[in-house]
Amino acid sequence: MSNNILTQNDIQHVDYKDIDLLKQFINPHGRVMSRKKTNLTAKQQRAVEAAVKRARFMALLPYIQK
Amino acid sequence: MAENDVAIAENDTENVDILRVYEIGYHISPSTKEEDIEKTVSAIRSEIEKQGGSFIAEGAPSMARLAYSIESREGTKRVENDRSYFGWLKFEAKIDAAKALEESLKANKSLIRFILFRTVREDTRAKMKAPQLREVKRTDVIKAAPRRAEESSEPVSEVDLDKALQDITAE
Repeated sequence: MSNNILTQNDIQHVDYKDIDLLKQFINPHGRVMSRKKTNLTAKQQRAVEAAVKRARFMALLPYIQK
Repeated sequence: MAENDVAIAENDTENVDILRVYEIGYHISPSTKEEDIEKTVSAIRSEIEKQGGSFIAEGAPSMARLAYSIESREGTKRVENDRSYFGWLKFEAKIDAAKALEESLKANKSLIRFILFRTVREDTRAKMKAPQLREVKRTDVIKAAPRRAEESSEPVSEVDLDKALQDITAE
């Protein structure tokens, strides 16, 4: 059984508006964490990636953070 | 917005009549007055209705701080927005309707940015379990009861006691 935030909380869809959730998958610089760190499945990782990119475009998350 | 164009176009080959679920996220300029926000939203809604779409869910616009400033034009001036009214809409429509809607949103001057993409009918917002509170051993426990007892056991003068007793017996 994979041990990651999405599975633990039984989250099926990743929404770009859930900033607090997405923030757990980005590092202090604003980059998306690797699958090694997130422990997500490939499908989940893709969903998170898409959501983070949408959130960035809508200025809900930063592209870069110094 | 190239991403959106592709997202819509890739399903363009066949089944033009099939209804699909889309979501719009939009930022309304912070300089708009409170009463005009509702007008802007209803303009978007009527546009969707005109295209034959039906609504599934909606998030009312609320003031949000932006992660970076978005540039917009107000007349001839350029304005840097570090906050905006962010709202969203989920609806069902045909591919052509979504395309037409995207064009109309592009022309909408009061929106400083928007996103249109395909999604699913179900509620996609994550329902996180309530974070478990860590058990912390408190060292500063307030002991209320003993202090009150102390107060009551304060020495009372004989005169006061006698007076009180007399008052009770007199009744």
